[in-house]
Amino acid sequence: MNENLYINKSNQEYDAIVIGSGISGGWAAKEFCERGHKTLMIERGRVVEHRKDYIGENTPMWQQEHRGQVDNILVDQQYSIQKQCYAFGNTTKHFFGNDRDLPYQTKKGTDFTWIRANQLGGKSLLWHRQTYRLGEYDFNANKLDGYGTDWPIRTKDIEKWYSHVEIHAGISGSKENLPNLPDSEFLPPFEMTSPEKHIKAKFAELFPDRPLIMGRTAHLTKPTQLHISQGRVQCQARNECHAGCSYGAYFSTQSSTLPAAAKTGNLHIAPNSVVHSLIYDEKTNRVKGVRVIDNDDLSEREYFAKVVFVCASTIGSTQILMNSKSKKFPNGIANSSGVLGHYLMDHNYNSVSSGDIDGFEDEYYSGRRPTSLIIPNFYYKPDPKRGFLRGYALAGGAYRKGWQSQQHQDGLGVEYKNKLKQAGKWAFGLYAQGEMLPKFENQMRLHPSLKDKWGMPQIEFDVRFSDNEKAMMEDAAEQSIKMLKAAGLKNVTGHPNQGPPGLAIHEVGTARMGRDPKTSFLNAFNQSHDIPNLFVTDGASFCSSAVQNPSLTFMALTARAVDYAVKELAAKRI
Amino acid sequence: MNNTNKTNLADNSRRKFIRGFGLLVGCSTAATLLTGNAIAVAMSYAPNADSTLTNGKVFTRAQLLQLEKICSIVIPATDTLGAAEVDTHGFIDNQLYHCHSKKVQHKAIAMLTLLNVEASNHFSRPFIELTSNQQYQLLNDIDQGKAAFNKQQRSEFKFLKQLICFGYYTSEVGATQELRYDPVPGGFKGSIPYKETDASWATSTLFS
Repeated sequence: MNENLYINKSNQEYDAIVIGSGISGGWAAKEFCERGHKTLMIERGRVVEHRKDYIGENTPMWQQEHRGQVDNILVDQQYSIQKQCYAFGNTTKHFFGNDRDLPYQTKKGTDFTWIRANQLGGKSLLWHRQTYRLGEYDFNANKLDGYGTDWPIRTKDIEKWYSHVEIHAGISGSKENLPNLPDSEFLPPFEMTSPEKHIKAKFAELFPDRPLIMGRTAHLTKPTQLHISQGRVQCQARNECHAGCSYGAYFSTQSSTLPAAAKTGNLHIAPNSVVHSLIYDEKTNRVKGVRVIDNDDLSEREYFAKVVFVCASTIGSTQILMNSKSKKFPNGIANSSGVLGHYLMDHNYNSVSSGDIDGFEDEYYSGRRPTSLIIPNFYYKPDPKRGFLRGYALAGGAYRKGWQSQQHQDGLGVEYKNKLKQAGKWAFGLYAQGEMLPKFENQMRLHPSLKDKWGMPQIEFDVRFSDNEKAMMEDAAEQSIKMLKAAGLKNVTGHPNQGPPGLAIHEVGTARMGRDPKTSFLNAFNQSHDIPNLFVTDGASFCSSAVQNPSLTFMALTARAVDYAVKELAAKRI
Repeated sequence: MNNTNKTNLADNSRRKFIRGFGLLVGCSTAATLLTGNAIAVAMSYAPNADSTLTNGKVFTRAQLLQLEKICSIVIPATDTLGAAEVDTHGFIDNQLYHCHSKKVQHKAIAMLTLLNVEASNHFSRPFIELTSNQQYQLLNDIDQGKAAFNKQQRSEFKFLKQLICFGYYTSEVGATQELRYDPVPGGFKGSIPYKETDASWATSTLFS
């Protein structure tokens, strides 16, 4: 990478400022740089260098501090929220935000888990890498039942951008021609185990509208020449992705978009720069740049550009927008519609089920597959008889029980030890991933008095799962149990849960797109209705959560918005 | 011997990992990665043959000796070392101190006390002085919640067993000799042959 990649102070007027370096920010920077635009990427946290800073990688358990668990006092004092994330552990904790420094509030009687990853690469280092396109039924959903506002785009508007990002990122999966889940540009899918193939066949026979397919995931199962030229190699199936992957086998900013952007020579990165607010010029009705507080010494500085892309994560982006107040926009910049902060959504993972599979005891697998299987949303067509709106996907997979689950049985001594040594029975589980309705009352706002150490007003969340989401999860548990039993599994159990929103880490909404400037923040190109050189391209722009994991859509919307912004810049409209 | 082969397998895989890196990114980056790991190694718990010579961080010396005995009964030495030989008792003492609340630490101590009390009630001696058969009988009773033990005590013993299993199967011997560990599988195969005498995989993810 070029020596001058990282900057601190600059008077230069950039062509573009990109706030954030996660999945969306990385894509925005890459696309601007490759089109010859001088780009400044602003990151609030420290620099994480590919490979060099993956300090937990390839460390066997016995060589990890506390065998991968985290010191109790450290967790209590600094990670009391972050510890709830499944990926939090001793080899990953340095990629999570510090709860002591990053306080937030929840309205009394509500709960919201906010997982943070404030460093170069953001959550692209920690994500679960599941990658699905949204389909026509998803884009139509709001319009059909009246919740939320209509997406101003359809698949024809975004499909070529999905292809564009997929070819670069590398997405593994199987072509399925499903009406509700468009195919991507695929690398080969991961293999299924024999019991999974067996259950897939059973479901195909008993529930033909509920196909079980391999999870689609941003892993290089078979890298192309393009990937190899980026220094990325084939996935080794370690399934230790969250510690960082020096093979570059999964998509992250570090493995994929950052090297491409840096290679152009057009990229600067300002790390340790906490964006406080956007600088607005009322005369020209343009954003001139951003005000930044230094992450370490709390000093202030400013950066300037012709166009600003806010890609700081759904909640992070909206926090910045809300904190950018002026005479014209006293309630947050470009918020003439008043919808900023509203319609916050997450996915709902509140149903689990599992059962045992007889047989297949002369078979095992090798490697640790970094993805599970999925039954895409089979409720994509509305039906009033269902008792709730929208739908859910079911994800899961088969595995042979190891010491981790067999240790709980009775027994002592040689017999117990030998039992735990052997691979146990096959088991199969399904958990639900449900859509959450967009609702005005589900919101984030700036706390009137509480601030964090950088002087940013703290966020107060006021978000609840509604009866619709609860009814959906009850149905998910019921359907899962029914399907597992029908497929011949034994000891089937399942139940809905009551987890709060946030922990799916699929937060979207709060600066939604739309056709009408009176009821939406952004237009169909993620451009502010009010201020032409202001764009928001991360999850904040979503009109509905759909059922699919959102990251692939962050990528596609971002690439599409840059393409549009570049044309608008050339035409001198912004 | 079979065990040696398994250790070599893990070593070879590690070497393969580093060598693959050298080809890909140059040896200096590969070396940097090793340096990163060296920090982790320095902070990990090192099995210590002398851990029962003094008081621990949570347990007294007498309690450590008692726990060592329990480890050797739950997971004894077979053709591989058992839980006591790899200092699982010392590991548990350290792990409880760092990663568990005071409440959990006290529960673990209370379990050892309970076993001593019942040993005295039945055999008029502390646990450590019972014959091997008597010790086994007592642990078997509490493991199944029978004789003097109730359901609650049974589940608390299961928690102690969990600590022992975690300590043993995440140790180098437990993961690479008793079970199978492959740091760099090279890809995922959905079906390979398996027979009853084969060991299971030690890990499925980063989080054991």
